[in-house]
Amino acid sequence: MSRSRGTAVATALLLAALAAAGCGLGPGSGIGAVKLTVTREFGAVPMRADSVEADESDTVMRVLEGSAEISTRYGGGYVQSIDGVAEAERGGDPYDWFFYVDGVESPIGAADFSLRGGERIWWDYRDWSATNHVPAVVGSWPAPFVAGYEGREHPVAVECEGGGEACALTRRALEREGVAVATAAPDGAIRVLVGPWARVRSDPAAAQVEGGPEESGVYADFERDGGGFRLVGLDPKGEATTSFGPGAGLVAATRRYEGPPVWLVTGATPAAVRAAAGLLDPARLRDHYAVASEDGKETSLPVEAP
Amino acid sequence: MRSPFAYVPRPRPLQAASPGAAVAYLGALVAVAFLYSSPPVLFAVGFAAALAGRLAGAGGAVRSAVRLGLAIALPIVIVNVLVVDRGETVLARLGEWPLLGQVDVTAEALADGAVFGLRAVVVMIAFAVYSSCVDPDRVLRALRPLAGRSALTATLVSRLVPVAAADAGRLRDAARLRGPGAAEAGRAPLARRLLAGSLDRAVDVAATLELRGYGLGPSARRRGQRRLPRSRFDRRFHLAAALVLAAAIAGKLAGADGFDAYPTVTVGLGASTVALAALVAASGLAPLRWPPARRQPRPVAPAPAPPPRGPAAAAPPTAADVETANV
Repeated sequence: MSRSRGTAVATALLLAALAAAGCGLGPGSGIGAVKLTVTREFGAVPMRADSVEADESDTVMRVLEGSAEISTRYGGGYVQSIDGVAEAERGGDPYDWFFYVDGVESPIGAADFSLRGGERIWWDYRDWSATNHVPAVVGSWPAPFVAGYEGREHPVAVECEGGGEACALTRRALEREGVAVATAAPDGAIRVLVGPWARVRSDPAAAQVEGGPEESGVYADFERDGGGFRLVGLDPKGEATTSFGPGAGLVAATRRYEGPPVWLVTGATPAAVRAAAGLLDPARLRDHYAVASEDGKETSLPVEAP
Repeated sequence: MRSPFAYVPRPRPLQAASPGAAVAYLGALVAVAFLYSSPPVLFAVGFAAALAGRLAGAGGAVRSAVRLGLAIALPIVIVNVLVVDRGETVLARLGEWPLLGQVDVTAEALADGAVFGLRAVVVMIAFAVYSSCVDPDRVLRALRPLAGRSALTATLVSRLVPVAAADAGRLRDAARLRGPGAAEAGRAPLARRLLAGSLDRAVDVAATLELRGYGLGPSARRRGQRRLPRSRFDRRFHLAAALVLAAAIAGKLAGADGFDAYPTVTVGLGASTVALAALVAASGLAPLRWPPARRQPRPVAPAPAPPPRGPAAAAPPTAADVETANV
């Protein structure tokens, strides 16, 4: 009798301790909505755009599982197919699913990426023959500026590298989204470099663009053109496909090592930088890896192969 | 006390079969258990192994294996549930744990762990049937031509370990019999005495082996060896093993292993899975004792006269012959 009473007391104490530690049955309480976007071909083909109510226990994988038909491999940690579109080799080029949370490539798997509410999750099925590592994209604007990335908020700094009017345009675009822009770049800040490429390229993170997509994840390059530069659009294989005019601006994002994302608002000329700053709008950046603007017309990068 | 897994000779087909046939049969079941994750197939393998053990008179070994297997399976399930937080259906949140981080219990991790545990139980049953129904000495004799020294070592170990255990029991009994007033014999002195006794015994065994010619070259030893006799049950077990393995391979090709724990649990119950599970389960009947066929008695023919053996037998013995013989 006393033994059974002791067991009951021990069980009650254990349950109380578990409850005090935040344990409980079920998936936990709600944390708000997250946005889930599923696309193909570098965002060119939309497949799904949902707003999903998430719980405390939700991960990127669970949100995807709850919204789409998926199959996984390697113990459920790797997405093999979404809505019937599976990893494959097409015309000798490898295609796979990649995901970004708040515009940043995740360093951990989707099943291990816990959500805190408000994230923008973007799954894209693409050719990765040029690179399987695109560290940051612009298609989730105004993320990561609004709420940070990888579960933490980060300060935002606009670094004006001779951008002139474009710097003010960039600052205003960020402030329209409710972002507090720092005047200097504190440690861990998400930086926005605004200016002509001849100035911006001196930044180590920006200079990665000249190393090609395998280094920067940006499907664009600047070629020498006389005394200046000319923006060149690359195709998914990393081949130069489109040579833009001198007025073409570029908005792209990259990261150096594991540092914070660095956005580039640049172009060959000051006019091109202004054109690029004019792209900082949700409608013009949505679901793009990077965008070039020339004569008021946007071109998604990478450029579709002819 | 005898271990429930110890070999007990019984007049049953599995025990009478040659070791190769019995190992092939039980090995085929184990192979299927490792090849497949489908719960219906794993249950079928477990059923077949348990049925085979029951028909071979090893019901006790099967029960012990199930108990032992469950004792192994439970920690497997618990560890899987705590370590793996994948899966869509979160049953409970257990908070932040040291090393593990946030622990979420999901139905999928539970099912995945249960399949791992089921495999452990099934393999335990098959090994229990092997252990209790296949004569280890015959297995070692069968292995001797392939790996003579290993077989000899295994034979000695399989003999000397139980002997050492019996020695330990006797030493403990002797210590107890000194009476309640005697100082308690610690484990260390007991182990020392046991080790010394084992070394003495090892020297004796080595001398005996030398005397019996184990020091001679392999060719000299093989001259005296006889082939193990085949059993009339061998064909049955070889056939069952071949059928099970062929069906398992065909089932794999036909997609019979339909089980995915993640992202949600899906168990394939297609025709190929059901057919494979049925065949594997039916293979458990292989050790069944068929009643001996009754033969009709042959009509008894009159015994023929013995043939003559040479000229002396041509004529019946005469009285003179008998008298001569009596002299």
